[in-house]
Amino acid sequence: RQRLTEELDRPKLQLLALSSVGIGLTYFLVWRRKAKKSIPLGDGWWGHGQQTLRDDNKIYPFKVETSEDEINDLHRRIDQMRYTEPLEDCGFQYGFNSNYLQKVVSYWRNQFDWKKQVAKLNEYPHFKTNIEGLDVHFVHVRAPHRPGQKVLPLMLVHGWPGSFFEFYKILPLLTDTKDDLAFEVICPSIPGYGFSEAPHKQGFCSLDAARIFLKLMERLGFNKFYLQGGDWGSLITTNMAQMKPQCVSGLHLNMLAVTKGGVGMLLSLIIGPYLPFLVGFTREDVRRLFPYFEKNVYDLLMESGYMHIQGTKPDTAGCGLNDSPVGLAAYILEKFSTWTDRKNRDLEDGDLEKKYSLDDLLTNVMIYWTTRSIIPSMRFYKENFKTNPQNRVDARTGIFVPMGHAAFPNELMHCPLPWARWRFKDIRSYSYMPRGGHFAAFEEPRLLAEDFVKFVRKVEGKKR
Amino acid sequence: MLLEVLLALVLGAVVLLVLRRSKAAVLKTEDGWWGAGSPPAGAEDESIRPFQVETSREEIEDLQRRIDQTRPVPSLEDSQFNYGFNSTYLQKVAAYWRNEFDWSKQVDKLNQYPHFKTKIEGIDVHYVHVKPKNLPEGRTAVPLIMVHGWPGSFYEFYGILPLLTEPANADDVAFEVICPSIPGYGFSEAPRKKGFNSVCAARVFLKLMRRLGFGRFYAQGGDWGWQITTNMAQLDPTAVKGLHINFAPVENVGPLLILSILLGRRFPGLFGFTELDVKRLYPRVEKMLVEPLKETGYFHIQATKPDTAGRGLNDSPVGLAAYILEKFSTWTDHEFRNLEDGGLERKFSLEDLLTNVMIYWTTGSITSSMRFYKENFAKGFYPPHARIPVTVPTGVAAFPNELMHTPKLWAKQKNHKLKTYTTMARGGHFAAMEEPGLMAQDIQKFIKVVEGKK
Repeated sequence: RQRLTEELDRPKLQLLALSSVGIGLTYFLVWRRKAKKSIPLGDGWWGHGQQTLRDDNKIYPFKVETSEDEINDLHRRIDQMRYTEPLEDCGFQYGFNSNYLQKVVSYWRNQFDWKKQVAKLNEYPHFKTNIEGLDVHFVHVRAPHRPGQKVLPLMLVHGWPGSFFEFYKILPLLTDTKDDLAFEVICPSIPGYGFSEAPHKQGFCSLDAARIFLKLMERLGFNKFYLQGGDWGSLITTNMAQMKPQCVSGLHLNMLAVTKGGVGMLLSLIIGPYLPFLVGFTREDVRRLFPYFEKNVYDLLMESGYMHIQGTKPDTAGCGLNDSPVGLAAYILEKFSTWTDRKNRDLEDGDLEKKYSLDDLLTNVMIYWTTRSIIPSMRFYKENFKTNPQNRVDARTGIFVPMGHAAFPNELMHCPLPWARWRFKDIRSYSYMPRGGHFAAFEEPRLLAEDFVKFVRKVEGKKR
Repeated sequence: MLLEVLLALVLGAVVLLVLRRSKAAVLKTEDGWWGAGSPPAGAEDESIRPFQVETSREEIEDLQRRIDQTRPVPSLEDSQFNYGFNSTYLQKVAAYWRNEFDWSKQVDKLNQYPHFKTKIEGIDVHYVHVKPKNLPEGRTAVPLIMVHGWPGSFYEFYGILPLLTEPANADDVAFEVICPSIPGYGFSEAPRKKGFNSVCAARVFLKLMRRLGFGRFYAQGGDWGWQITTNMAQLDPTAVKGLHINFAPVENVGPLLILSILLGRRFPGLFGFTELDVKRLYPRVEKMLVEPLKETGYFHIQATKPDTAGRGLNDSPVGLAAYILEKFSTWTDHEFRNLEDGGLERKFSLEDLLTNVMIYWTTGSITSSMRFYKENFAKGFYPPHARIPVTVPTGVAAFPNELMHTPKLWAKQKNHKLKTYTTMARGGHFAAMEEPGLMAQDIQKFIKVVEGKK
């Protein structure tokens, strides 16, 4: 023993120490790299009864159609509306104001031209294909071939109570550009929404939607593509990036939900208003986040009743809405008012027509009405809240693909960059948008398109 | 030295407790006016007008037409009532409603008791007034007001009314019962102005009882009826002789409550917890957080966006039935969520259930009924009346399947003169309708304790 310690003199000990640290570090880094960077794909089948046939992989063209019967039935039901007097001076505080609703309904009954809107919907080519037992609907818009133009594939995913139609204003801005970059866009409908078949089995959550959309892109021949989404679209595209990061060139989101807060979040909430720079907050972050309780807790409580009932009793919540078009319109359009700007709650007309045309708003409602998809669309909430959302595999896994966030000032919740960094490990772009709310693509298509393209250029520029 | 300090602290705490308890605050309120526009000059018309429920062929045909226009959406496979009202069973209910339910006959049934309307604070208040027919010599009927809740109505009491007004037992007290409709519900006019909460309803009902000549009376209620009758006892403790409730949720969380939640499972005897108490309260997270979250979606949306929530239900009778009857299923027994038919017809007849729904349908009052939720939470979860105790004799009937279970200890925190607390043998939220016999028995028991003590 004495010989051993004699041999281990100072420099040798130092070498031993350093190499131990070095080996330890290397091991740690390698282990970290091996740490989960993706979540399992899983599988599913959502058709009636037992799965018997294999998936028919064909892609069928689809056209939106209507009929005299459909329009007459709608008119008959609108005429049968049983009006309820609103309280005096309540604006939109109790929900959709009955007085203003009558104006909307009158327009719907007498001036809205569904046939014209259907023709507008059919301006872009629609398709359906069967995946996991369900007919999945999507719009496929190709870029007109321009020499010298790089065309990148992109999928846009909508949310609730929206639809693929929300993207109709942004589509030309992305596909028909005059410069060197354009996109070939796929806009699917989430199963259970609009023209996509609704799952017949329980359990269809965002992970399943993500997997189905990945299969869709694969079937269409896209190996690498960009993703953009808000609302449920944000979660679904995030899940897609977690399942197959190698397929996702970049992920652009206009809504970020903060799931796991913890001590870091608490600290930043306490210190943030006074020493924002200490926790990585900008002045704009402070302006949007605080007073925290009022803006994020109280306001969220005020606005999440729909989420609570849809997340627990969707079949009951949607039942009446599937018979009453006026009820359906009130339910859906209340969100287009309040989620565009919370101040709209104090206005008699919810300022609905400030940023949107009644034609566009009602076309979106008609997609829910004619397909009878309000109940399945609500079920998506229950399916996603079944397992504690904070414990689900996707909430515990990070996102490693390049990400960009467009933070709109009137979005339901604000997520500052330091918080986004907890889960998104490669944020390339974070922008404070000058105006706009929850339905960004619908309300401010130009602003969103500009930010999205800016993000893509950053990602493409950094590519080897 | 330490002993002195300790004794002083203990004495101080006792003094504080004693002082706190004896400061029985009275709930204050101001007058209100709920009609359209401004109140007219001159005194209010205080006449009491007889009222008859009526229907017409148009009304029935319109209902049938709308039922025919239902666009059903199939429920998910094997989901029973877990996603809400099951679609397959709903079609059966709708078919019965369309083809067998006889609304004219039910209207006659409603009219078997005399109805009245009278204007209070600018709105027409409807009520049923039932007097005993065969009162023995020298006996007077005891006045009692019974207040319904949501999504119920005065009709819930039609099963218990004969048991209270014509009791079989000669020993039992005979009651003269007033069953009003909460303003905004059924045949009572809806308030036109914001702010009509339970305290306002209590004030209106106190005025009603006074107008009918009742200086002192008993009150009974569950659901909103509990809140309103409690407020009545807080507003005018001299008028309310006794308060009987079948629903007693905790409004104020104090240290004793927290302690009992933390230690109650281990040391039930310490807090007087019965077997039922332990079964209903533990495991804590599941029973006090998860279960309530699962069942309060309606509450959340009605307390924030009632006009939106009720809009579609006022056009679609089947939608309205699904929304209301889901509660009659789940709030009678949570286990019914796992049944294809929600166990709905186990405790109620479709005829009775649909009569209640028709009261909401024919009056178009679903939206105004929902507004009551928003009005009551406008000032948050701790309005003044939540902090004031009840000082009139109270009786609690704790039904085993009630939505929120309240052990005796908790009921005592609010009701300082708790005279009876009965763990009922069976029954859920709609106790008067589901178990009228048991309920009547407990009301008799309570009355005898209060009257006996006089």
